[in-house]
Amino acid sequence: MGDIESENQDIENSIKELARNLLRDKEVDVIIGYTKGTVPLSSSPVFITREEDTDKLLWNNLCYVNLANYLAPRIPKLYDEEGQKLKVGIVAKGCVGRALIHLAVENQINFENIKMIGISCNGIINRKRIEKEIGEREILETSILGNSIIVKGRDFEETFPFDEYLNELCKVCKVKSPPNVDDSCVGECLENPVIEDDFNDISDFESKTSEEKWVYIKDTLSACTRCYACREVCPMCYCNLCFVDQNKPIWFGKTTDFTDIFAFHFNRAMHLAGRCVACGACSSVCPMGIDLNLITRKLEKIVKERYNFTSGMDKETVPPMMSFSMDDKEEFMMEED
Amino acid sequence: MNEITSESKQMKNTDDEWEPKILAFLCNWCSYAGADLAGVSRIQYPPNIRVVRVPCSGRINPYFIVKALLDGWDGVLVSGCHPGDCHYLTGNLVARRRFGILKDLLEFFGIEPDRVNFMWASAAEGERFAVLIRKTTKLVKKMGPNKKFEKKW
Amino acid sequence: MEKIGAVMVVGAGIGGSQAALDLADSGYKVYLIESTTSIGGVMAQLDKTFPTNDCAMCIVSPKLVETGRHQNIDLSINCEIQDVIGEAGNFTIKVLKKSLYINPEKCTGCGVCGRECPVEAIDVFNEGLANYAATSVKYPQAVPLVFAIDKNYCIGCGICQGVCKAKAIEYDRKDEEVEINVGAIILAPGFDEYIPPEGNLYGYGKYKNVVTSIEFERILSASGPYAGRVLRPSDGDVPEKVAFLQCVGSRDYTGKGKPYCSSVCCMYTAKEAVIAHEHMHQIQPTIFSMDIRAYGKDFDKYIIRAQEEYEVRYIRSRISSITEVPETKDLRIKYETEDGTVVEEDYHMVVLAVGLNPPNDAQFLAEKFGVELNEYDFAMTDIFNPVQTSKPGIFACGAFSSPKDIPDTVTQASAAAGCVNQLLHEKKGTLITEKTLPPEIFVRGQPPRIGVFICYCGINIGGFLDVPEVTKYASNLPNVVLADNNLYTCSADTQTLIKDTIKEYHLNRVVVASCTPRTHEPLFQETIREAGLNRYLFQMANIRDQCSWVHMNEWDKATEKAKDLVRMAVNKARNIEAIERIKLPVTQKTLIVGGGISGMVAALNFATQGYETFLIEKQKELGGFARHIYNTLEGGNVQEFISDLIEKINSNKLIRVFTQAEIEIIDGYIGNFKTTVIHGSKKEKTEFEHGVVIVATGAKEYQPTEYLYGQNNKVILQSEFEKLLNTSNDINDKKSVVMIQCVGSRNDDHPYCSKMCCAEAIKNALLAKQKNPNVEVVVLFRDIRTYGFKEKYYREAREKGVIFINYEENEPPEIISEGSILKIKLKTLKMGEITIESDLLVLSAGIIAKREDNEELAKMLKVPLNDDNFFLEAHVKLRPVDFATEGVFVAGLAHCPKTIEDSISQANAAVARACTILSKDEIEVEGKIGEIDMARCTGCGMCIDNCAYNAIELIDDRRFGRVAYINSILCKGCGACAGNCRCAAIDIRGFTGEQIFAMITGRN
Repeated sequence: MGDIESENQDIENSIKELARNLLRDKEVDVIIGYTKGTVPLSSSPVFITREEDTDKLLWNNLCYVNLANYLAPRIPKLYDEEGQKLKVGIVAKGCVGRALIHLAVENQINFENIKMIGISCNGIINRKRIEKEIGEREILETSILGNSIIVKGRDFEETFPFDEYLNELCKVCKVKSPPNVDDSCVGECLENPVIEDDFNDISDFESKTSEEKWVYIKDTLSACTRCYACREVCPMCYCNLCFVDQNKPIWFGKTTDFTDIFAFHFNRAMHLAGRCVACGACSSVCPMGIDLNLITRKLEKIVKERYNFTSGMDKETVPPMMSFSMDDKEEFMMEED
Repeated sequence: MNEITSESKQMKNTDDEWEPKILAFLCNWCSYAGADLAGVSRIQYPPNIRVVRVPCSGRINPYFIVKALLDGWDGVLVSGCHPGDCHYLTGNLVARRRFGILKDLLEFFGIEPDRVNFMWASAAEGERFAVLIRKTTKLVKKMGPNKKFEKKW
Repeated sequence: MEKIGAVMVVGAGIGGSQAALDLADSGYKVYLIESTTSIGGVMAQLDKTFPTNDCAMCIVSPKLVETGRHQNIDLSINCEIQDVIGEAGNFTIKVLKKSLYINPEKCTGCGVCGRECPVEAIDVFNEGLANYAATSVKYPQAVPLVFAIDKNYCIGCGICQGVCKAKAIEYDRKDEEVEINVGAIILAPGFDEYIPPEGNLYGYGKYKNVVTSIEFERILSASGPYAGRVLRPSDGDVPEKVAFLQCVGSRDYTGKGKPYCSSVCCMYTAKEAVIAHEHMHQIQPTIFSMDIRAYGKDFDKYIIRAQEEYEVRYIRSRISSITEVPETKDLRIKYETEDGTVVEEDYHMVVLAVGLNPPNDAQFLAEKFGVELNEYDFAMTDIFNPVQTSKPGIFACGAFSSPKDIPDTVTQASAAAGCVNQLLHEKKGTLITEKTLPPEIFVRGQPPRIGVFICYCGINIGGFLDVPEVTKYASNLPNVVLADNNLYTCSADTQTLIKDTIKEYHLNRVVVASCTPRTHEPLFQETIREAGLNRYLFQMANIRDQCSWVHMNEWDKATEKAKDLVRMAVNKARNIEAIERIKLPVTQKTLIVGGGISGMVAALNFATQGYETFLIEKQKELGGFARHIYNTLEGGNVQEFISDLIEKINSNKLIRVFTQAEIEIIDGYIGNFKTTVIHGSKKEKTEFEHGVVIVATGAKEYQPTEYLYGQNNKVILQSEFEKLLNTSNDINDKKSVVMIQCVGSRNDDHPYCSKMCCAEAIKNALLAKQKNPNVEVVVLFRDIRTYGFKEKYYREAREKGVIFINYEENEPPEIISEGSILKIKLKTLKMGEITIESDLLVLSAGIIAKREDNEELAKMLKVPLNDDNFFLEAHVKLRPVDFATEGVFVAGLAHCPKTIEDSISQANAAVARACTILSKDEIEVEGKIGEIDMARCTGCGMCIDNCAYNAIELIDDRRFGRVAYINSILCKGCGACAGNCRCAAIDIRGFTGEQIFAMITGRN
């Protein structure tokens, strides 16, 4: 393989071909994939039912949306005119596959009706960082050239090195292709993957004092306007009625006072422990540019270190919050001196 | 809405030293019974905890703990049956998983690790209960009042 | 004589309490008679229990509280049996209720008298290691919580009378004699421990640092004399080297102790060693033992863990002497090792694992009740029914009939209850009374009107915090209509006052601020129910045990805390709702899976009581494992017993037997199961309904692949040898028979003891010797586990010339086949390598679980298996025949290897437990249980895996799609599901999120 540009081309070609085949062979009724976004630095999800439309499918490094979200139970199920469930082909980078697998573990989807079009993802661009660099100027076009990200505007053109401007989560990603379950994967996939991760990327933050952490968290989260974009884009946030929207009881306040913001983000993090698949969509989508990836990584680390679990790798391993063991670590329990 | 101001007024005690208020969730079958035993045995411990009886440590939703912090309690203590002793067989083991994650996350979010404490105490451990209450009171006292979550409006 | 629907249980330890509860729950009036001043017996004295290291008090005290307040149990303490007349079905017993010198009706158990008593007497509960007052309860959690004055110590100073605000002290209170009429009697007086007599060789009584195991148990206990720290009595130092001596007073033929094995010492010693090391890591325990008798379920694993994880050292030796080192008070132990060397070692402390004696009053009880004792003064029992005494209508359970541990005691207690059920079933429900209560006032939707009652508890609360101030504070809380204070809120006159106040002020919620809800909530709930309020419209604030008593020198802060606690209770009360307990009909029919001895005994018991019973057996014939056994070690004729059972089963119209049967589906839950069975050679299908299930599927004999079995016809199994002895005279031509023990037991594949093989080997060795006195019989063993009275036969075998040679697990005997003889090579410690020539090698093959069958059935019934694929009971100690899944019970070898007598006990016990369900037309469900908000539930299934009771399943709801559903019959209300639910779709009635939030917030 050559540079990012040619990798992208290969991935896109493979997506198109696999999608065409699946539709042609009637293995699926609809393909969920990515197409060109309506604004620069974005891509859009697309639903394709006709073989000839597969040309609309694309792959670039802006495909940050986790397509599993479109199969999550909150979204109306895909049915044909007779009310039959449609068979779905879904373009699956590693984290989409993981999300699907975890949703299956939580009884939300069934691989009988799903084909994953597995790709080996080469990473998603940290659009927030680029937007920041560009500042007030209006971006009209973005593209990948060789190993660089080219951003063009009315009277400027900037180049960013791809590796550096990758999402933090993508930089440490170990699951670039979907793990294969139930033989549902065509294309690139991982068979029985074993993941080793040292989590060195968050050790700096972890070594901060409590007060320093608090200052950082408070600074970061204070920007939140509680638009809930992070929740909406998250494939694991599929509750019928989110705890912050419940009113019997009103668990936490609905204001943007920091107390209530904290309650939302902290409890959401608790809910994602052992479930988050580290796709990074929440950070990519945040209009206030809040970086939630740190929390994502910490969640992964906690469940890995405490319960030796990585979410969405297979359907058999029982997630930590669904199981327990007599021998679980309990070093945090208070003991007599 | 002026909970905090009136609360701090209440905190003013006969002596001037600040006394933390700690919310303690005790499981009915072991820890609550252990606390009762401390009483029957007249073992003295600091008067800082306020007990919420729950059927089992498994009942304790993280919301309860977070809410207590947001509402200005200076510390939270959770106590259940020792692993293996659970009246409901495995409720405390289910809880322990949750608490491990909760404890790690609170710390990661910059909440002082000593604000929220977890312990096991059996129905026969009146002395241990008192010892650990003394310990948790000392820890919370050392950190000072929980001021992180004062509402602006 | 007409039968009486009441039962007397004598002795209220764990056994007596269990029997009383089983019978009371099945509709009998129970008179529970206890000779001391509180119930709980020895178990309440223990720190932890093996093999799970459960805290004894945690698990026993809920049971004792239930016993103390059960409406069908009449509990009398400090009693003595005077006279017994009558026969099975109708006895009259004269009982002397000795005066406590305190009026139990008035005593609130507050304990002020004990604290003020100037006389220091010895605390018997703490084994004399601490002092207590002449006015006392036995231990802090005592049931009933009534104080008594010990006249042996009382000096009559009158101080207690002065301080008792309840006016309960009555120095001149007289003994009372009552006559009680019952249909059956259960004797459960327990045991007394062996106390080494004066001049004993262990120096007990002479050397301060030599203690008995039960004294050591108190030292270990968190509520014991040193608050759970392990210290030696002479100087309060931590004893780093502790020696435990086994068989003190047991397996002793010298006449100083008892010849039988006390059955429980090996395990409790291992436990004490483990706990000591766990409490203080510097302690290194050494255990001196002859054989390690870890014959029970999962016991061997415990011994292995003790050695590997807790550094417990085992030495196979009986010590020869023990002397004190005067300067240090250390103890010098002299013993001979297995290879004959004599060693001397010093220890900081010595614990004597004392044996179990029959209760001191065994002779007295035997005489009064007219039951016979055996040669050791334990109750003589039927050879096949270990709870049946020599007198019909009188049963024995627990250590009264032989030394035994807690699970066996609990099993026997239920078994005795099962036998009483069989005897008195037609009188069930005739002597219990049901209270008539007024209809409940409908309060839903009404604004809360809260009444708060604050207790002075004499001076127990009022003396340490400002009760009037708390009352004033409470009266100003929102929705509080009235706040009042009382001298004793629990006294009878206050109950009337509360009822009147509810009516006068139209209260719809009641809060009591006093002592602990663990003991007093039911009383107040009953009171408000009598006034027409739903039981659950009640809250308590614990301002005594958790406030005034623990902050005795902090008036202001204790007052402030009491205010907070009252406010929190009021906040919760504002949010509580009436809870209606659901009732469900019970199908009064039973299913028994497995037609071996356990299954058949259970079926007959059910059928005698008139319950239609379905008995299903996989094989063509009934009989199970025992079909290959001819006699028991004690001489019971097994074949005769089985054919008698089969005949009775076949002639009983209420029992429907399905042979060659397999279960296709079991559906439903407690009280309402539906099962489809495929049976017979034609594979017919039958469907039926039933209310309970007993799993009695048995086990199978291990088929060895070792020791040339299957390759050489001189190598046979113990069961084959038994057949040979009983059906032929082949033994007469044999010169030498060698037996190898633990074949397929206690190894990596089957890490447990099969329990019966030692007894089987000795039984057959004795029979072989009897038929052919010239035959040489050699038994190669690892430990001889002839526990209890079986020890007698071990001794007899040795006396008759049977040779016992020890081998180690890692050096098993080697078998060489040479022509017509077998050569058995073995390494021994004493004699070096030896070779035995033999013309018959008998393998004592272990008992193994029917893995595939068990796995399949376990899945259908949603019950667990243990690591060895035997069925796993709900609680190893206190619920030995129940499963966590209600309405399903286990008996016999399916549970773990055991003797025929134990299987029969378990079968009867399972019946008794089942009768607590079957005796009712409908079962009432616990009110504080989980409920699902289907609109919120996403059906992720997390709650299902976290539920210990299999109470939750996913259903497809017409409106809400796939959602979780809680079966309210199975739910216990622990909340493990609700604590984890992200969607907050699950709530626990009585502990709802809203209620708990109200306690956390709302500080004004």
